[in-house]
Amino acid sequence: MTVMTTQTAPVVDFDQVSRNFGNVRAVDGLTLSLRPGETVALLGPNGAGKSTTLDLLLGLKQPDSGAVRVFGGTAREAIVAGRVGAMLQSGGLMDEVTVAELVGLACALHPRPYKASDVMARAGIAQIASRKVNKLSGGQAQRVRFALATAGDSDLIVLDEPTTGMDVTARQSFWATMREQADQGRTVLFATHYLEEADAIADRVLVLHRGRLLADGTAAEIKARAGARRISFDLEGETDERALRELPFLTALTVSRNDSAAGSGHTVRIQSADADATVHALYGLGLYPRNLEVAGLGLEQAFVAITAAEEAKTK
Amino acid sequence: MNNLIKLELARALRNRKFLFFSVIYPSVLFLLISSTSGATTKVDGTGLTLPTYMMVSMASFGALTAVLMGNSERIAKERENGWVRQLRLTTLPGRGYVLAKTAAAAVVSLPSIVVVFVCAAVLKDVRLDAWQWGALTAAIWAGSLVFAALGVAIGYLADGDAVRPITMITYFGLSILGGLWWPTATFPAWLRDIAEWVPTHAYAALGQAIEQSQAPHARDIAVLVAFFALFTGGAAWLYRKDTLKA
Ligand SMILES: Nc1ncnc2c1ncn2[C@@H]1O[C@H](COP(=O)(O)OP(=O)(O)OP(=O)(O)O)[C@@H](O)[C@H]1O
Ligand SMILES: [Mg+2]
Repeated sequence: MTVMTTQTAPVVDFDQVSRNFGNVRAVDGLTLSLRPGETVALLGPNGAGKSTTLDLLLGLKQPDSGAVRVFGGTAREAIVAGRVGAMLQSGGLMDEVTVAELVGLACALHPRPYKASDVMARAGIAQIASRKVNKLSGGQAQRVRFALATAGDSDLIVLDEPTTGMDVTARQSFWATMREQADQGRTVLFATHYLEEADAIADRVLVLHRGRLLADGTAAEIKARAGARRISFDLEGETDERALRELPFLTALTVSRNDSAAGSGHTVRIQSADADATVHALYGLGLYPRNLEVAGLGLEQAFVAITAAEEAKTK
Repeated sequence: MNNLIKLELARALRNRKFLFFSVIYPSVLFLLISSTSGATTKVDGTGLTLPTYMMVSMASFGALTAVLMGNSERIAKERENGWVRQLRLTTLPGRGYVLAKTAAAAVVSLPSIVVVFVCAAVLKDVRLDAWQWGALTAAIWAGSLVFAALGVAIGYLADGDAVRPITMITYFGLSILGGLWWPTATFPAWLRDIAEWVPTHAYAALGQAIEQSQAPHARDIAVLVAFFALFTGGAAWLYRKDTLKA
């Protein structure tokens, strides 16, 4: 018999959650749970349902079916207890007040606030504290939103595409700050399109596509799942594509013409679940591959492979 | 929530255009209109001089401007840009946003009433008993809540481009039909019959009854109460609808 203690109770728990907009299934039977202290990336293409998922989590939208629990209660209860800080993709700001006034308001509304000056320093907006909110650049406004999400000592921080509009240095310093938050034991959930962000920052990656969870694991596991390796080589003369297609463990194949000084030929790109076996069989065909390269799939290709496989299945 | 009220208020007081139209403009209009005829001309059927009569109309008009104009557009805009959603992620109770906006508008509407009174007393020699000044201020101030509720309802009803024209039509419609700019006594009879049921007419009539040292008409009170119930009910319903949709 296992006993659940409150310490291991999930931070967020989705049980078969669905949400439609008209005939669009924005979120489709989503079941997931976040454990304390995790940094989780919610990865998916445009329209995958990331923002809708976060809205459901935060209680801004209600599910059509299924149940959402945050710290074992409703989202509203968790927010009122000051346990959740969030930055929305479409989060507006109050116009015609200064940055300091707005951050001060967020601090005043939090049950366990930090000092407004500390919050602004951490978000990198101390220099623009007296600036009017409606006069900020896109990246600056994004940092103000981040300051609002971290105005107090919350246990869960939810961020929807937080680095949109930030330049490279701003993005780096943003993630450095975010890691600090995670190191203090907070749970962080962020939605992103930037695969390198998910790869570099998250302990766990959730891949969402058409409202469904396609993959849930570490970045490494997801790469492995997508057909682990990429093989590329050149062939001279005519290429028997049919024979290549029969190679074992092959998950994807492209052949493109490659006319060089050496004569006409083709470049072949293969994705394989077992590169050793595939390459062995390649030599078995009596071919002489030149410029042979075998490399791991980046998260990006893994992501494309997983979503493409899903598209193919639904057709 | 006090913090939000303070911030809303600071913002309103910084907005020069808004202050001009709600505080200065009604007084200017009062001086212009009350100078069109002699100080002793009586407004038909009231026994009040034109300046005395128009003082209440313009104070009511100023309060109407302060509570109606600012809030409807702001609320529509902040619903659209997502500030309302962001606030829902704080400990602020759901109604806190609307209450803070209304409270801030109420603070601005007080000077717009008082400035008209001061102009009337100093420049147009309007004389009333001390209790009348106090009662007038209280009645016009409290009555403006009816239109604050209307402002909130419009803010939740209309989006983006529609909110300004709707606010303007409502604002001018209420001001003119209610007799805030010209006494309804000058209206043709059919229009006067309509005006009787317009909430701004009942609103100004409340103040004019005080000037005449009379008890307010039961019908005016009933009209105001009915519209207050209608506007707050509508605002609450639209607010709930918006919250579920967001
Ligand atoms: N309020 C709404 N009304 C109608 N459809 C909606 C609404 N909100 C979202 N959708 C639809 O639901 C789907 C999921 O949208 P969502 O905003 O959750 O995607 P997303 O993953 O956040 O995308 P992005 O990366 O572009 O932000 C989309 O097809 C979108 O068109
Ligand atoms: Mg989104």
